[in-house]
Amino acid sequence: MTAALPSRTEQRREQRTERRTRRTRRTAPSAEDRAPGKRRANRAWLLVLPVVVSVAFTAVIPLMTVVNYSVQDIFSPNDRIFVGLEWFRSVARDPEVRAAFVRTLLFSAQVLLLEIPLGVAVAVVMPRRGLGAPAALVLVALPLLIPWNVVGTIWQIFARPDIGLGGWTVNNVLGLDYNYTLDAGDAWITVLVMDVWHWTPLVALLAYAGLRSIPGPYFQAAQIDGASAWATFRHIQLPRLRGVLTIAILLRFMDSFMIYTEPFVVTGGGPGNATSFLSILLSKIAVGQFDLGPAGAFSLLYFLAVQIVCYVFFTVLTRTGR
Amino acid sequence: MFEWMVWTGPTAAVFAGLGLLLCAMTIWARVSPPVPRRGFLRIETDRGDRLYIGLISGAAVLAGWIAVTDLSMWLALAAAFLVVLAIGIWG
Repeated sequence: MTAALPSRTEQRREQRTERRTRRTRRTAPSAEDRAPGKRRANRAWLLVLPVVVSVAFTAVIPLMTVVNYSVQDIFSPNDRIFVGLEWFRSVARDPEVRAAFVRTLLFSAQVLLLEIPLGVAVAVVMPRRGLGAPAALVLVALPLLIPWNVVGTIWQIFARPDIGLGGWTVNNVLGLDYNYTLDAGDAWITVLVMDVWHWTPLVALLAYAGLRSIPGPYFQAAQIDGASAWATFRHIQLPRLRGVLTIAILLRFMDSFMIYTEPFVVTGGGPGNATSFLSILLSKIAVGQFDLGPAGAFSLLYFLAVQIVCYVFFTVLTRTGR
Repeated sequence: MFEWMVWTGPTAAVFAGLGLLLCAMTIWARVSPPVPRRGFLRIETDRGDRLYIGLISGAAVLAGWIAVTDLSMWLALAAAFLVVLAIGIWG
């Protein structure tokens, strides 16, 4: 019986080989990998070419144009003055832009804090099998099927204190003084609750798909060990949701940081500037006032902020602890 | 053909520089493939990652500078260049 087990020397030899393999994997590809025969496989890059062309056409060239706008005062394509970084200076120091930036960041933080745990909680309690599973999926997915401007219209009416069911209930049943058209706090809560209603289903569906992909033996092992429901969630389900939650957090951050249609329809950015997020202010400058130079500088600073926050989120969620 | 893009000399130079930088990085990667490592950023990065993080950080330095001070933007450019260099070498 002992003869079947590997000896200590054999074990050490195996460990050494494994360490060496691991080290080799971390170094650069060998000359063999870069041999001409392998290089032929790079023709697969040609398949990516249509995507490169379409992205260049729809994103890179327009972005370059925005950069060109941002350093000029443009009256018409033939009548323009180079102003250097002047628009960046005026936009970056504009108190209205700074206030909108803080407001948008705060809104995104609240959206993530509410939608991510709520979405995961909904996914955990959703039925996995039987008739309840498809019914729950359809019900949960319903808000996602409604166009943004229609969601805004629904909530604009629903939250009205006079004829809206929600607003009327809050005022007359709960006895609270609620009017989103007059009170800044009420308007903020209305936009936030509307976003939670509209987008928590996305997080829930992603988390549900992640939960469904966990193999059964994990749960059987937890059951044999006598793990509580919380321990199973904390040590089995949550770690396995890391990938889908990374996507959910990034999607929800980007979308909430660029939110436009729903608050525009419900509050129009008001009362006062209470729900004037960056995108609403930007569209006012770009489309309302047709100030292409300041709007270009504003867009690039906005783009930079989105890039930085998304990259930090992505790095923290995917690379730490590796 | 590209008149509608309202090009200026400085922006054309910036984009040409970026294009050349990407070409140089591609050639460098072919000649000597990048090896991921950890630096002061405490995450595993190869030189392309560090260039991206450096450029984004450099842009953040420029944006922060223009938002808070009236000091020359050439100084800001020098600071941004140092940030890109530091991240590229030790990041």
